[in-house]
Amino acid sequence: MVKEDFLLAARGVAKKYGSVIALRSADLSVGSGEIHALLGANGAGKSTLVKILSSVIASDTGAIEVHGEATNLRTPSDSIAAGIATVFQDPALIRDLTLEQNLRISGLDKADVEPWLVRMNLGHIDFDLQVADVPLAVLRLLDLARALAHDPQLLMLDEITAALTTDQASYVFEVMREWKDRGRSVLFISHRLGEVLEMCDRATILRNGADVAHLDLRGVDEGQLVTAMLGAELIEEFAEGPVEEVDSTRAVDVLEDRDVVLEAKGLYLRDKVNGVSFQLRSGEILGLTALEGQGQDELFQVLSGDHRPTAGELLVDGERLNARSPYDAIRRGLVLVPADRQKALLPQRSVRENLSTPLYARAGRWFTIASDEVERVDRAVERLDIDIRAGSQAQRLSGGNQQKVTIGRWLASGFDTLLCFDPTRGIDIQTKAQIYDLLREVAATGASVLLYTSELREIPLVCDRALVMYAGRIVHEQDAATATEETLLTAAHGLQEASA
Amino acid sequence: MTAVAPDTLAAGTQPAWRRWLRRHGWTVGVWILLLALIVYYSTLIPRFGWFQVASIVNNSTPLVFLAVAQAIIVIAGGIDLGVGGMLVLSSVTAAQLMEGQGFGVTLLIAIAIIAVAAAMNAGVGWIITVSNVPDIVITLGSLYVFQGMALAVLPNPGGGTSEGFRYMFTGSNTGIGSNPWPAAIMMTIAVAGVALWMGKTKGGLSLYAVGSDKTAAYLSGIRAALVKIKAYAIGGGFAALAGLATTAIAGRGNATTVGGNLTLNSVAAIVLGGVALTGGIGSAIAVVPAGIILFFLNPILTAMGVDPHGAQVIQGVLIVFVMAVTGLLEWRRRRRS
Repeated sequence: MVKEDFLLAARGVAKKYGSVIALRSADLSVGSGEIHALLGANGAGKSTLVKILSSVIASDTGAIEVHGEATNLRTPSDSIAAGIATVFQDPALIRDLTLEQNLRISGLDKADVEPWLVRMNLGHIDFDLQVADVPLAVLRLLDLARALAHDPQLLMLDEITAALTTDQASYVFEVMREWKDRGRSVLFISHRLGEVLEMCDRATILRNGADVAHLDLRGVDEGQLVTAMLGAELIEEFAEGPVEEVDSTRAVDVLEDRDVVLEAKGLYLRDKVNGVSFQLRSGEILGLTALEGQGQDELFQVLSGDHRPTAGELLVDGERLNARSPYDAIRRGLVLVPADRQKALLPQRSVRENLSTPLYARAGRWFTIASDEVERVDRAVERLDIDIRAGSQAQRLSGGNQQKVTIGRWLASGFDTLLCFDPTRGIDIQTKAQIYDLLREVAATGASVLLYTSELREIPLVCDRALVMYAGRIVHEQDAATATEETLLTAAHGLQEASA
Repeated sequence: MTAVAPDTLAAGTQPAWRRWLRRHGWTVGVWILLLALIVYYSTLIPRFGWFQVASIVNNSTPLVFLAVAQAIIVIAGGIDLGVGGMLVLSSVTAAQLMEGQGFGVTLLIAIAIIAVAAAMNAGVGWIITVSNVPDIVITLGSLYVFQGMALAVLPNPGGGTSEGFRYMFTGSNTGIGSNPWPAAIMMTIAVAGVALWMGKTKGGLSLYAVGSDKTAAYLSGIRAALVKIKAYAIGGGFAALAGLATTAIAGRGNATTVGGNLTLNSVAAIVLGGVALTGGIGSAIAVVPAGIILFFLNPILTAMGVDPHGAQVIQGVLIVFVMAVTGLLEWRRRRRS
């Protein structure tokens, strides 16, 4: 690549949230007149990098240069003034204000965005509408028009096409091409690799918070991108973990004559979950994976009784579960380990208290906890191998130990089906292995587990069977033992509708 | 994602008056409630004339200004328990400094008091944004501080003001009369000014933006911390205005007035006025009738022969009822969308 003047160059950008590393060290450079793709699997650090580049958050280390000069941008308004405008994944519009008022707080008015809206077939839109009354796809385009009205040198688009229809997306592409023709630049983030190859000139690929490849996209195909995002050495890197041997008796055919404990029949939730059906058998660990925002969060809300499905039904042991709240689901043995540990724990209470919460949370419990229940908590503490030194307050535990507590509290109270939502996110490798062991052990006692994970490698390691979700539907199902990260990731991008 | 037929978003698909009513229904409702109460009151007492109207308008001015102060801060996502203390402090400072002065001097003193109060409350807002301690905690502190300062300024009830100053807020040199217009004009100018600023300008809309969604506001290029400090400053100014009105009405200052009670009344008034305690929603225009109603309930209940303790119960029931209705409407709206 010829040395050229970069419009934007980031070097060695790193960011830590507490003990969790979001970005290890990332380099990114975007030239003038270039459409540049930023790619990576879930948790690779794309969103963090975008937030740093748009000055929403500050990086811990690293330098950002605009037109070859070091910058010191502190707030999003500084970035906009420096010619960098961003359209974020969630439209940055105020719900309670009208469209016109939203423009005004950005220092713009109707005339600034109107030409853009006309081109996006939104020229007729009523600016007196309240944001809350406008559908998400239109808000995305409005947000784009607002960014364009600032006439930026660099336009950053974070998953803008995710909620757009084909014709709406084509307006976005048209704008991107125009920006390129004017010698300006676009940083494009999308899970849709087809779009990326069609639109972009170069790509920077992030993996585990670091840039692992800078590609010229001419002559590259989707398969090569997927390989680059995963990295070839990944499988070996993980094999040294302590859970490498897979129990051969736990093959899928053995499970086939077990009872179905949980069955989803055509579940729908608004436009997020679009007809999800699956069966979960006793003793089975069913893996589920998806890219971010494919309806998995909403599916778990339905399964755990937090939300009622808009259509479809959920059967527990063959009987319909009509949960009005998680309480009803828990009574039928369906328990959730949520993604956000902070939501599940009482952060200021002790580990023991946290473990016993489900015991006394039952309505109608007025008396003290019985001695056999104390024993159950004792056993759970022992089993979980939690470092009790920090036991006086759950918030002082490490993320991994906190996660063990959130699983452990259900061990103490008993359950039939464990719904785990990304339980190993941001956890060190050793604790991860302990959690895998724990899930296997749970399954061995005849309970079943539905494990959503954003880490594809966990599927063959821990699960019996794998499902992949895309756009609110299950698009792929296979025996976990034969699942490779490549097949899963391909399916997760919606590239291959047919089941293997 | 379902494709949306673009037509539903075009102008004129919904009659303008229906949308207007949907957005301003609460404001209209509170004004109608106030008018209905006035009509009802006029049938309760033997004589209803300008004297009664002036009494209601004049005496509700402090609460109206205090409620507007609270509304501005709550809309911006805060809550200020200190406004009652600021009212008392401004009131006694005015009484202390204005005693024996001519109208011109008292007017200058009044302007200075508003400016200092705004600056002090800006400091409160600054402490909140810098320390990240919840608003309710810091302003509980500022309530005590202001109340204590008031007692230091004027240990015993007393002081005074000029006749012209009393006329400005009460339409009478003695504070008692049948002229509601000066007070009504003061309220109209101040409230219309702030409502226009909040609804039409970038600076004013920023208050709604920060109160509604701090992250989205920040991403839109708004400096959220600065906006909050601004809201506290303007709120402090309005609390001082309420204090000045108090002094004008009474003709003296009284530092033993419990600021905390005044704060709670201001919160009750904004709730009745349709301001969401979660921030981002509400209008100063609706807070005016709400403040008048809250004050007005006392004479109505007295005229009905209800004893003063009963009046408090009814005020409480009214607030709970209003909150329940708001909650129900919000729940229905969310279920439909």
